Amino acid sequence: MATDAAVPGRFERTAAPEAPPSPSLPAGLYLPSGAVNNRGKIIADWLTTTDHKKIGYLYLISSFVFFLIGGLMALVMRAELFNPGRQILASNEAYNQLFTMHGTIMLLLFATPLFAGFANVLVPLQIGSPDVAFPRLNAFAYWLYLFGGLIAVSAFLLPGGAAAFGWTAYTPLSSEAYSPGLGGDFWIFGLALAGFGTILGAVNFVTTIVCMRAPGMTMFRMPIFTWNALITSVLVLMAFPILAASLLVLGADRQLGAVVFDPENGGAILWQHLFWFFGHPEVYIIALPFFGIISEVLPVFSRKPLFGYKGVVFATIAIAGLSVGVWGHHMYVTGAVLLPFFAFLTMLIAVPTGVKFFNWIGTMWRGSVTFETPMMWAIGFLITFLFGGLTGVILAAPPLDFHLSDTYFVVAHFHYVVFGTVVFAMFAGFYFWWPKMTGKMLDERLGKIHFWMTFVGFHATFLIQHWLGVDGMPRRYVDYQTSDGFTLLNEVSTVGAFLLGAATIPFLWNVYITATRAPRVTVDDPWGWGASLEWATSCPPPRHNFNALPRIRSERPAFDLHHPEVAAAQQAKADQGALDQIFGQSDIGGTATGRHQ
Amino acid sequence: MKIETWVFGSGTFFFVPLAFVYGLLNQWEEPVGFAALLLTGGLSAMVGLYFFLVGQRIDPRPEDNGSAEVADGAGELGFFNPRSFWPIGAAGGAAVMFVGFAIGPWLFILGLATFGLMVLGLVFEHYVGDFKH
Amino acid sequence: MIPAGTPPGRRGNANHDRYRRSVGPNSRDRLRRRGVVPAVLAAVAALVLSGCSADTLQRGYLPEASTGATDQTQRITDLWNGSWVAALAVGVLVWGLTIWVVIAYRRRRSDDPAPRQIRYHVPLEITYTVVPLVMVSVLFYFTARDQAAILSMDDADGGAAQHTVEVIGKQWSWDFNYVEEDVYVTGRQAQLQAPGVEDRLPQLWLPVNERVEFHLYARDVNHSFFVPAWLFKMDNIPGRENQFRVTPTREGTFAGRCAELCGENHAEMLFTVRVVSREEFDAHIAELEAAGQTGQLSVELSREGLVPGYVGGGVTGRGNEGGGN
Repeated sequence: MATDAAVPGRFERTAAPEAPPSPSLPAGLYLPSGAVNNRGKIIADWLTTTDHKKIGYLYLISSFVFFLIGGLMALVMRAELFNPGRQILASNEAYNQLFTMHGTIMLLLFATPLFAGFANVLVPLQIGSPDVAFPRLNAFAYWLYLFGGLIAVSAFLLPGGAAAFGWTAYTPLSSEAYSPGLGGDFWIFGLALAGFGTILGAVNFVTTIVCMRAPGMTMFRMPIFTWNALITSVLVLMAFPILAASLLVLGADRQLGAVVFDPENGGAILWQHLFWFFGHPEVYIIALPFFGIISEVLPVFSRKPLFGYKGVVFATIAIAGLSVGVWGHHMYVTGAVLLPFFAFLTMLIAVPTGVKFFNWIGTMWRGSVTFETPMMWAIGFLITFLFGGLTGVILAAPPLDFHLSDTYFVVAHFHYVVFGTVVFAMFAGFYFWWPKMTGKMLDERLGKIHFWMTFVGFHATFLIQHWLGVDGMPRRYVDYQTSDGFTLLNEVSTVGAFLLGAATIPFLWNVYITATRAPRVTVDDPWGWGASLEWATSCPPPRHNFNALPRIRSERPAFDLHHPEVAAAQQAKADQGALDQIFGQSDIGGTATGRHQ
Repeated sequence: MKIETWVFGSGTFFFVPLAFVYGLLNQWEEPVGFAALLLTGGLSAMVGLYFFLVGQRIDPRPEDNGSAEVADGAGELGFFNPRSFWPIGAAGGAAVMFVGFAIGPWLFILGLATFGLMVLGLVFEHYVGDFKH
Repeated sequence: MIPAGTPPGRRGNANHDRYRRSVGPNSRDRLRRRGVVPAVLAAVAALVLSGCSADTLQRGYLPEASTGATDQTQRITDLWNGSWVAALAVGVLVWGLTIWVVIAYRRRRSDDPAPRQIRYHVPLEITYTVVPLVMVSVLFYFTARDQAAILSMDDADGGAAQHTVEVIGKQWSWDFNYVEEDVYVTGRQAQLQAPGVEDRLPQLWLPVNERVEFHLYARDVNHSFFVPAWLFKMDNIPGRENQFRVTPTREGTFAGRCAELCGENHAEMLFTVRVVSREEFDAHIAELEAAGQTGQLSVELSREGLVPGYVGGGVTGRGNEGGGN
């Protein structure tokens, strides 16, 4: 296949699938084709790109910068909480701005766009398509995110400061009467803008996955990361419009004197219902893609396929569906929700999550496990996320949540699940796909140092917060008294937080020295046992991803290509029972006469 | 197209009953959850139905064929703009519009106008100039 | 299985070896890795158990003040302990499996290039779908039962309410109306770190072993009435009346906090609950009457009549002190 040089943009796939892969092109990442050393051209190239890989890199870089900013805010908060008394911040309001923006940045400007970043880079490569379905819409969605995020965060520069009503923006606190000023408005409208970007990105991913797969890439041969990107996009389509609508209505209340969220009209509870109907799927939007990354990394470093492929797909769909119905578990103590309904559905989500967990372990079972850096991060995720899941089941029980709601126990729980999933899997993904994206491998030793500092720092910071919450320290408190007995626990947590912050330094150093000094990767698959289609093209890939597509006969086309002797040992079994067909393996094999879905 | 239909359409059979269960258990006093779940079921139904109808209409595709060869998908795949400045322009216009919500109608109008022009440019990009089809 | 005699070059990517050499598992790495995880686990266990005496463990690390504090705390503690036993059992199993897999199936130099490519096992997968489903259903039964008991407003559960207290949250303190006694207490925001501030927080006095019905309101934004020792909180939502009943069964002084972000001074919205004998309670009510705090404060959604200011030591020019007694 080739791009037709005479007509830029026109793309044709030629009927020569067995042509040998061409040598990898020079780093398309840094320079547009033909242009050398012209900084203006480079900037213009990045500003006008429609290449899904470049847009993905833009998302990844922006998300990571927001991650660092949100992390610095966390360090300031933890420093303030080190001891009783307000030593660092000028006012209580400053602290409220910090935790509001920390939450906003981490959830909406880091984790969600990070999903868009990984999905942008990987999905077309994994399904064998030359780009996404709507490349310009893709770029548009990215710039909406960036501009929306900058609007929300730029409120720090305003005289009244940034929004200070928590990322949850409960009314009436977030109304004009109790949080006047532009900071709140910038937050609302900036996030609404970014939310539209997310929605358009999801539309793009769904269309790409449904319409642009390579021949032979049936739905049940797609890599799990792509499946999870699809299901996450479905969740985005279900949840983000509600956020956008609620934000705009709140904006109307603040700017135009609407009374939708006025407390006399039941507005306080109305906001909570609307927000959490978005907010709970949101946390699965940020979790599922990263479960997908783990599902990609574990098989490669166990040298075995993912165990229970279809089980994992169905479990993910179940998690997504259930997650839409559990929003009320954030509202147990309002006295305004039907407790048994939400408690039951919330506890139910543990079941498909457990299925996925056992399938991950089953992938490593009787495998040949090696411990390169991506694998370390994946194992770190397993250990960390499990504990977060268990505390989640505890919180799902209303009688226990009456005590624990809005305390540090909840803070500990969600950092375990979210940081454990998003950050650990993010770094697993970075180390794993760095050669594919940039053509160079990150250093292993620095990677291991980075991992252990993060692992120890994370647990030191957040494990102790479970005790803090059980002791009754509420969240979003700028200060506490010596007589409360919270001091030692806070001190431990703060020390851990600074170690966690420092853990980023080996990573940044690694990125720098790799970019300047590391040798180029010359093979398609430097890890040796890559399974999905991106490992069947050069590092980095050419502009439209593949010079030659391999034949696709299972969920591991690159593995089949590179290890035909192993693939040959597995044939599709004839006459599988119905249960095997529904619940078993991916679509492997294929008959001479073809089999259509 | 069958699996895609089910990925979206199966939600209908979960959300719509769930909406009614929720409504009933709340004695129809909690309107938000019922409406939201019902509409989510509606979204699933809409997309699932669309995929179903499209699946009926089109021929079997090589990507749904487990034994397809790469040659089966030979031919023109589509037009992929190598670069375009309309997306960032439109996003900039939208950003000005949204800041205008916060600051004042004058800025909103300015942003709306910019955004409108940029969207027109985006839509007509393939009809004029370099990338004329 | 890989056929014996397959030449190593057929592995596909020779460069893979070059990158792996710097990290390949040699015996030193393996030993170090084997030692680290159990050591970490032992350290965590030591840390956890170090704070442990028999009764700390018995109440599952819940606050000491919660033991016997209300008619519901034992029920909650039992559910907490039971849930944690189940959760930790699952945790030990799954962590154990994870660590086992990581140790037992790590790659040794002598291994075949690729192991057997097992893809699925339907009976196993169904088992670990159904068993958690059953566990979760059992847990749900107990939580539904306990939650109905805790929130019951029925006279059959715990007896009729002998007192009614209206709690009105405001930015940034609390007002209490003793309905039957027809007296009120109005609170001022605390100033943390000021000496003697505990004595000036608004105080809620209750007689021990007598059932109290709480009605919760808010004057402005969301607040939440949280008494950690009671293992309970409920929100004060403006425009809404929330209710719950409780029988305090343990005398003492208990901290109270606001547990819903309500603005700048959310952390200073503290109060104190004093559970005392009936005689002391009656004496306190008489004191309130003598101080002229008779009648009831409005529970309306309105900030009219709110008096600004802190309670704390040595703060002048910012409003009156007192308000809590």
